[in-house]
Amino acid sequence: MELRQPSSAEEAVGLLGNGHVALAGGTEIVPLLRDGLLRADALIDIRRAVPRGIHGTTIGAGTTLAELEVDPGIPVVLREACRLAASPQLRAMGSIGGNLLQATRCWYWRLDFPCYLHGGDRCHAKDGRHDEHAIFGNDVCASAHPSDVAAALLALGTMLRTTARELPLAELYRLPTTDDPQTTTLADDELILELEVPIPEASVYLKAMDRQRWSFPIVGVAAARTAGEVRLGLAGVAPVPWTLTSVDDLDRATPLPGTAYKLPIARALVARALRAVATG
Amino acid sequence: MTINGVPREADVWPGESLLFALRERLGLPGSKNACEQGECGSCSILMDGTLVCACLVLAAQADGHDLVTVEGLGENGSLHPVQEAFVEAGAVQCGFCTPGLVVAVADLLRRDPTPSDDAIREALSGNLCRCTGYAKIFDAVRIAATRA
Ligand SMILES: Cc1cc2nc3c(=O)[nH]c(=O)nc-3n(C[C@H](O)[C@H](O)[C@H](O)COP(=O)(O)OP(=O)(O)OC[C@H]3O[C@@H](n4cnc5c(N)ncnc54)[C@H](O)[C@@H]3O)c2cc1C
Ligand code: SF4
Ligand code: FES
Ligand code: FES
Repeated sequence: MELRQPSSAEEAVGLLGNGHVALAGGTEIVPLLRDGLLRADALIDIRRAVPRGIHGTTIGAGTTLAELEVDPGIPVVLREACRLAASPQLRAMGSIGGNLLQATRCWYWRLDFPCYLHGGDRCHAKDGRHDEHAIFGNDVCASAHPSDVAAALLALGTMLRTTARELPLAELYRLPTTDDPQTTTLADDELILELEVPIPEASVYLKAMDRQRWSFPIVGVAAARTAGEVRLGLAGVAPVPWTLTSVDDLDRATPLPGTAYKLPIARALVARALRAVATG
Repeated sequence: MTINGVPREADVWPGESLLFALRERLGLPGSKNACEQGECGSCSILMDGTLVCACLVLAAQADGHDLVTVEGLGENGSLHPVQEAFVEAGAVQCGFCTPGLVVAVADLLRRDPTPSDDAIREALSGNLCRCTGYAKIFDAVRIAATRA
C-alpha cells in the first residue's frame, strides 16, 4: 500500500477508484484499516485537494468540526451538532466531509459479521442485539446513522458540490438494499468539495445521549426555519440521515423490539425543537 | 517530523497509525495504546499544538509536523507542573489514562490558565478513566492551575 498526496482535486480524482481510497483527517479510516474492515491499495491524502475553511455560506469539505463549532457565522444547529459530536481530539482532526461519509457504528458490522452491509444475506442485529439501531428505513439493514452533523445540514437544506455534480445533501444517501449495500451515492472517484449552507431565521439541535458528552446520538433532532419553512433532520434513527416533514411522520416509524424506546424520545425532541424554532 | 523538539525519522508501513510508530518504532511508549478507536484519549498528543488521538493519525500523514508527546512535557529532567499535580492529588491509579490526561490538561492550561469546572469537563471529555472517578483528576487540574 502507498500514500499519495495530490495537490489539486483534478489530480486526486485521477488517482481515486480501483482500490485507491480518499483520506482526510483519518479518524474513521485509520481504525477501519487496522481492523481489516477497509482494504486499500493506496491511500489518497486529499487534504491539499479539497477546500478547507468558511467563506460566508460556503464551507470547504476539509473544514474540521472544531473550526465549525466556534465560528459565529455558522448557524446554531450546525455549531451545536459539531460541539456535541465525538471528543475534542476527534473534532480537531475530523473533517465535515469525512463526517458525512462515516461508516456505521453497528457492532456486528464493526466485528465483521457477514451481514447485508458486508455483502451477506441477513441482518445480524435484527436477530440479535439492536438497542442502538433504527426506527425508520430498517427493512434490510437496521443500523442507525450516527452523524449529528448530517442531521443539522439536512435541516438547513444544504447543497453539496462534488467533483462531478451539485446535489441536495439528502441525495448523497440511499437506503441499502439486499443486492446493493451502498449507503451513499458517491462514486469511488468523486470528492465532496464544498457545502452551501443557507442561513436560517432560527435553528436548534437537540441530542439524546447515554451520557452528557462524548457519545453517539441515541436520537438527534435538528430543526431549522428558513424563509418561513421549517425542516427537520434526524440522527440515530435510520441507516441514513433522516428527514421528517412534520411530527406526524413519526407515526410511520417501524421500531424494532429493542429500539421502541427511541420513538417517544424522538417525539419529545421533535416537539421541543419545533417549539424552539417557531419564534425568535 | 519533529518529536519533542528533536527531528526524527521512521520507516513506516503506509497504513499504520502514528501511535504504533511512536511506541514501536521510535521508542516513545508514553502514549498509551488502549482502544485504538479514538474513544479513550489515552494516546493523546499535540500535533502542531493541537490535541489529537495518535491512534487515529496515519503515521505517514504526520510527516513534516511538530509533535509533542507526554515524554516531551517536562524540561531538563524535571516533571511538568501538571505531572507534579497529578502525583500530589493522587490522581493516578492504574495509570493507563494518565499520559493522555496529562497532555490534555497541559494543553487546556496553556489555552486557559484558569479554567472553569465546565471548561475542564469539556476539555477532558475525550479522556476516559476507569479507576479514579475523575474527582482526583479535577483536583490535579486545580492544583496545576495555581502554579502554571
Ligand atoms: C470514537 C468516535 C466517536 C464519534 N462520535 C461522533 C458523534 O457523536 N457524532 C458525529 O456526528 N460523529 C462522530 N464521529 C465521527 C467523526 O466526526 C468522523 O470520524 C470524522 O468527522 C471523519 O472525518 P475525517 O476527516 O477524519 O475522515 P476520514 O477518516 O479521513 O474519512 C472518512 C470517510 O470519508 C471519505 N472522505 C473524507 N473526506 C472526503 C471528501 N471530501 N470527499 C469524498 N470522500 C471523503 C473517506 O474516503 C472515508 O471513507 C465519531 C468518530 C469516532 C471515531
Ligand atoms: S444493522 Fe446493518 S450493519 Fe448491522 S448487522 Fe444489520 S445489516 Fe449489518
Ligand atoms: S488508544 Fe487512542 S483514543 Fe484510545
Ligand atoms: S487511573 Fe486507571 S484508567 Fe485512569
